[in-house]
Amino acid sequence: MAKKITGPQLILANRLDDGRAVFLTSIGTWSNNAADAAVAQNEAELDTLMTVAQAADLANLVVSVTPVVADTSGGVTAPAHIKFAMQARGPSVRADLGYQVSPNWEQ
Amino acid sequence: MYAYDTYDHAMVNARVAEFRDQVDRRMTGELTEEEFRPLRLMNGLYLQLHAYMLRVAIPYGTLSANQMRKLAHVARKYDKGYGHFTTRQNIQYNWPKLSETPDILQELADVEMHAIQTSGNCIRNVTTDQFAGAVADEVADPRPYAELIRQWSSFHPEFSFLPRKFKIAITGAAEDRAAVKWHDIGLVLKQNEVGEVGFEVLAGGGMGRTPVIAKSMRDFLPISDMLSYLEAMLRVYNEQGRRDNKYKARIKILIDAMGIDEYRRQVDAEWEKIRHVPIDVPDEEVARIKAFFAPPPLPVLADAATEVDELANANFIFKAWLANNTGAHKVPGHVHVTISLKPHGGIPGDATDEQMDLVAELADAYSQSEIRVSHEQNLILPHVAKSDLPALWTKLDQAGLGTPNAGLLTDIIACPGLDYCALANTRSIPIAQTITERFDDIKRLMDIGPLKIKISGGINSCGHHHAGHIGILGVDRRGEENYQLLLGGSGAEDASKAAILGPGFNEVGIVDAVEKVVAVYLGEREGDESFLSAYRRLGPDVFKEAVYGTD
Repeated sequence: MAKKITGPQLILANRLDDGRAVFLTSIGTWSNNAADAAVAQNEAELDTLMTVAQAADLANLVVSVTPVVADTSGGVTAPAHIKFAMQARGPSVRADLGYQVSPNWEQ
Repeated sequence: MYAYDTYDHAMVNARVAEFRDQVDRRMTGELTEEEFRPLRLMNGLYLQLHAYMLRVAIPYGTLSANQMRKLAHVARKYDKGYGHFTTRQNIQYNWPKLSETPDILQELADVEMHAIQTSGNCIRNVTTDQFAGAVADEVADPRPYAELIRQWSSFHPEFSFLPRKFKIAITGAAEDRAAVKWHDIGLVLKQNEVGEVGFEVLAGGGMGRTPVIAKSMRDFLPISDMLSYLEAMLRVYNEQGRRDNKYKARIKILIDAMGIDEYRRQVDAEWEKIRHVPIDVPDEEVARIKAFFAPPPLPVLADAATEVDELANANFIFKAWLANNTGAHKVPGHVHVTISLKPHGGIPGDATDEQMDLVAELADAYSQSEIRVSHEQNLILPHVAKSDLPALWTKLDQAGLGTPNAGLLTDIIACPGLDYCALANTRSIPIAQTITERFDDIKRLMDIGPLKIKISGGINSCGHHHAGHIGILGVDRRGEENYQLLLGGSGAEDASKAAILGPGFNEVGIVDAVEKVVAVYLGEREGDESFLSAYRRLGPDVFKEAVYGTD
């Protein structure tokens, strides 16, 4: 049974191996970049995304799968709440670390 | 320092091997996250916002130069080149990979370190006075007793699944530098009227969402009864502490509910049952442990050092550092040195791998290869000859470790907050950074005098805001970071709970409010009255008026 949602949502998780925050995309992959996140506009779409995300959890790719409210107002998708927005960027006190450097900062 | 025996080595190495197997089974899916989570937490491994976080125990805040070098190596090889020293006298790494944590733990085991009991509902790392064994104002060095408690509590089968985490602090000095009254159990070494050494036992202190100052259980407990009495205290808590609500599961809630007298009665009854079975260790074993902490062979030196005076006269920063960051040692001609991890604008408690290596090198050169971590998130060289201070400070200063602010307003405790922590509501580090930048004037700081600011980014109170002369608590107000201002707390022997002054502020407003509070103090203080004394005399109203106005 789908939960009632209050706005567009995206799916956030942590990769199992290194714990890095990742975002579920519309093609079922996990991206380091919140801008790539699939956005569910209603409960049915969120159900579909969660089914994909939970399969990835069961496949030991990610942990801590969490649907969070998305902010799409600036034309770029990002988590709305500061806590999850922080996950999409990195520690605000270390501009040299995290996705704020680049989505591919560790490669 | 304590050195592992074959049993310690075998125990820690076996745990590393066990965790390696558990990680392997998690990576292949043999263990689910639900099954694995408690196992990783038993090895100090959390999952935070950006990555895993590994919390490594530094028992009672004491470590050797070689151990510090290993911590630097781990930061460099497995992490992002830094670590965070915590209010529990531990170190946290913010970016380890799950698959590499068994290798990290093996490297730590090689230098007699581990991450056991840094998480979970067990007896956590015992904390103590960072100057233990170095100062003249202590009845006895508390570290041998902390080590005995470590050995007794490690993997204690009865106390591995307590209602909630359990923290014990111990001090041997009249001046409480270990915040013992804010712990589940506090032990204060003291002498009785016939000169015997024992403990005052305190119980039921704690922070979190329900701040409580510990109450006295016994005025004097002989040292020989320490472990059996602790066992009785833990047994009663383990049996009767609440398990239905994690926010009401700490011993402080139990003692509040049943009353300290009833808790004492039940503990005494339990103690009668168990005190004659061999829980307490024999005197020879106590003596063996004490020998590891024998004072280093420091020569008695002249108290005056010409080279120190010359540099102090030429360099005000060094002079300020001498005044604030060094303190009297029990051996004449020596001092203990606090290395500030609070550079203005920096991150409280963070040290780079290079800084850790330097501290190790300086400990070898100047401090009997010994280092301490304080609960105020600084590093200490406990045994330094005064004549070495100019050379020591010059090297520290060149590495960004010479900030002369120990005990002053900018020596701020701050939890990692929302920059790292999944449990936080707000950031706390940026508030500390802005305050230190606002007060970036050592003469002004010394004029203000001793003032402890403590910042928590969440109600768990990891930044000890309840015990701050000025405390700051971050709260989530409809998705926005909001900061409450508290005044009048103390973590010392005169422990007190800070009180909320009024409505909260945004991240700019809270710093302005701190500045207004300090201005009131400077205007109202009498003579050399400290901030805390002035607040206790004046009460909150004059501060409230300055911060919020009269409307």
